[in-house]
Amino acid sequence: MSLFIASIGFGLVTAAVLAIASVGFTLQFGVTNVLNLAYGGVMILGAFVAYLVNENHISVWIGLLVAIPACAVASVALNAGIYAPFQRRGASPITMVIVSLGMTLIIEFGVEALAGGIPVSYTMGNGPSFQAGGLNLTTVQLVIMAMAVAVMAGVHVVLRYTKLGKAMRATAANRTLARNCGIRTSRVINFTWALTGALCGLAGVVFAMDAGSFDSTSTDIFLVLILAAVFLGGPGQAYGAMIGAVVIGLATEISAVFIPADYKYVVAFVALLVMLGVRPTGLLGERA
Amino acid sequence: MNAFYVINILIYGAVDAMACLGLNQQFGISGVTNFGFIIFQAAGGYAAAILALPAATANGGFQSYIGGWNLPFPLPWIGAAVAGGVVALPFAFLFGRRLRGDFAAIGLLVTAVLLNLLATNYRPLLNGDAGLSLIPTPLRNGMFSIQPLSYEWVFTIGAIVLCALVFLFVRRITESPYGRSLRAMRDNDAVADSLGKNLLSMRTAMLVTGGAIAGLSGGILVSYITTWSPAAWGYAETVVLFAAVIIGGAGNHWGAILGALLVPVGFEEVTRYIPSSNNLPPNLIPSLEWVAIGLLIVIFLWFRPQGVLPERKRVIKVPAPAGVPAPVGVPAPAGVSAPPGAADGDGAGSPAVTAAVSAVSADHVRSPDGVGDVVLAARGVSRDYGGVKAVHDVSFEVRKGTLTGLIGPNGAGKSTLLAMLAGTLPVSAGTVSYLGQDVTSLPAFRRARMGLVRTFQLASEFKRLTVMENLLSAVPSNRGDSLRGAVLGRRYWRSDESAAIARAEQILERFGLEKFANEYAGDLSGGQRRLVEIMRALMTDPGMLLLDEPMAGVHPDLARRIGERLTTLCEEGMTILMVEHELAIMDEFCDPVVVMAEGSILAEGTMTQLRARTEVVEAYLVG
Repeated sequence: MSLFIASIGFGLVTAAVLAIASVGFTLQFGVTNVLNLAYGGVMILGAFVAYLVNENHISVWIGLLVAIPACAVASVALNAGIYAPFQRRGASPITMVIVSLGMTLIIEFGVEALAGGIPVSYTMGNGPSFQAGGLNLTTVQLVIMAMAVAVMAGVHVVLRYTKLGKAMRATAANRTLARNCGIRTSRVINFTWALTGALCGLAGVVFAMDAGSFDSTSTDIFLVLILAAVFLGGPGQAYGAMIGAVVIGLATEISAVFIPADYKYVVAFVALLVMLGVRPTGLLGERA
Repeated sequence: MNAFYVINILIYGAVDAMACLGLNQQFGISGVTNFGFIIFQAAGGYAAAILALPAATANGGFQSYIGGWNLPFPLPWIGAAVAGGVVALPFAFLFGRRLRGDFAAIGLLVTAVLLNLLATNYRPLLNGDAGLSLIPTPLRNGMFSIQPLSYEWVFTIGAIVLCALVFLFVRRITESPYGRSLRAMRDNDAVADSLGKNLLSMRTAMLVTGGAIAGLSGGILVSYITTWSPAAWGYAETVVLFAAVIIGGAGNHWGAILGALLVPVGFEEVTRYIPSSNNLPPNLIPSLEWVAIGLLIVIFLWFRPQGVLPERKRVIKVPAPAGVPAPVGVPAPAGVSAPPGAADGDGAGSPAVTAAVSAVSADHVRSPDGVGDVVLAARGVSRDYGGVKAVHDVSFEVRKGTLTGLIGPNGAGKSTLLAMLAGTLPVSAGTVSYLGQDVTSLPAFRRARMGLVRTFQLASEFKRLTVMENLLSAVPSNRGDSLRGAVLGRRYWRSDESAAIARAEQILERFGLEKFANEYAGDLSGGQRRLVEIMRALMTDPGMLLLDEPMAGVHPDLARRIGERLTTLCEEGMTILMVEHELAIMDEFCDPVVVMAEGSILAEGTMTQLRARTEVVEAYLVG
């Protein structure tokens, strides 16, 4: 029983990291229509930026603050330099996915070439632990969860109450129509890349904190979880991704109680394949 | 240069080339983007290994695996190919529904990542992370007791011969009518569907064929290197093969071979010559290799997406027409409605061919009399988009031999209605019947096979097929238009093909496009493309055509010519329902005309009658 409750604790932390990453991924896809598989690469880039700061005996939390704008800039550049030109030329969705796979290799192995292939970890304390009802969480884990809640609330406010958020939703629904309605879609898209890039950077650093040690390809498997959460909620659906993240995060960690921990990702994998095969618009999406 | 080194390169070259041929058949020819390709090579590798290995207890039982049947050559290689094909089969479900190609690709990519993770962590099945080793080499100690070097040469030649056989096999498929359908599906799957191509069946066939080829390549590889572990088949290996096919030239089998020699083999060999230095971090060179592969993919897709060796154009030489080119026109004369003698005039070739074509056409009831019979009927057809009623409770009939017009303001639901009639969109409610048969639940390709064929509002030609190929792709029941027919070879389907070419030639002449027969359809002007589309629809020998704005964006002169041709077709017994905006065209050619507004039918009648009705005039005809 205690193992079960402990696994809920792990699940909540994984769900928190996953929620930050998935919301970024799904907004990116929804608004820009790029299924950016290099998202995991940018995440790990952020994790290494924070590591670089951390290595110079500066708190990793400062590193986090550096990684967020770094990934925002990297994402905007990735779009402006690579994806947008391909899209302007009318590249098919499948070509875009292949390009993004190419960019994944470039970013992840570029990081590896610079950082070396050895797993690294941050120098940081986990702070005092807190116990409640059998759950045992460290301060860092609680902070990660608090950040996830803050991010969800922030995204909600942006999408719901700001002009930019409405413009994002309009662009996601129909880019041409949005432009014809006087929305500067290119600016909205750049903003989206910056925002989702920032979320990606944040997710990368908290992922690395949670994982303990990481190398340049650590996010490959995590990307599967992101995709599972995103497709569970319906691609492009921010709220769907939040729910998907909680479901997938809890399900993977809780399943580890019953099956060997090495296979815990199978749950996410099965969820993703079932969604793709049966209902690719997601639980919240309309019927295909 | 030592002989073992040359042998090593040749064997790797043959294995990689084989894998690239399989991938090219899927990706370059059929548009099936299989990001999990490496799974099938891995399956073949493991299958060959456990078939050839002795029981797990041998060698002191230091590795654990299932199987261990110690089977003689060539069973492990056959097993490898079978395993690759069988493992590919379940993935067809990803293509079963109308799943976006990129989503299906993601599904396969994720599967590759996960299966690798499982194989790494689960030891009992295939020895986990450490992988299998001491895999027996075929015939090593069997009937050939030969010197190591000569054995290696025999092995090399065997691998190259198998690669050549695979090449001939995929070329045979690609250059057949079936291959043309595959390329049509690649260029535009929705349109191929509407022409009666069974997309699921074609995609499944290509997944399995490519999987079997990948499996065989894996089997040959493990027999040579005698080990196989999860590290050898990470998801990124698929990306390497994709890079090879893209760089070599997707859609060109020689390009796939060139790509295999340039990328997987080339990279391995070039890095071998980089002097190892103690100053370099240990992982630097392999990391940079991956970066270079990523860069090559992006750079090629930008600067030369067609690859080093682009897909070549299939020029079809049209035989000089025998005798006087008859102005008979519609392809159908070769079919039911024409007396057998008519075939002489259209150069269709032997009587046997004509018979074959008639047999096909007999499916569609198309007697010259019966004009005025109801061909297509919609009853209470509706379509909702999340509460918005795009089409609401529409009932009407289309009678034989008429050119019925469907007009209405933007957003009236015309295209939605047409899509539901054709089966491209499911109805939310109501029934559609064609020739008295309820077809509501039939998919588009089945309705197309019954003779109910649509065209699209947006240009929908197969861009990388020539005009002639576009037409030929629509011919129903070509003997070569199945995997079996393709494999049986040209001799099996040649007569059907030449009959089809003759018919296509006739239609091209009738529409005055014979000069463009061997141009890529994607290079034509907008108006010519619309013609290609109508001609292609005619090639299916339809009973009824559903045309979605066939004259939109077409020069008025050409539009008039199209209209005249359509009228002639109807006089010959064709039934056409045409969505159109241009009232002048409606006035001139269409009778009767159906007016739609806000999802419902407003009125029906001749244009003269309609102009007299105020509500119609208010809704649409003003101005």
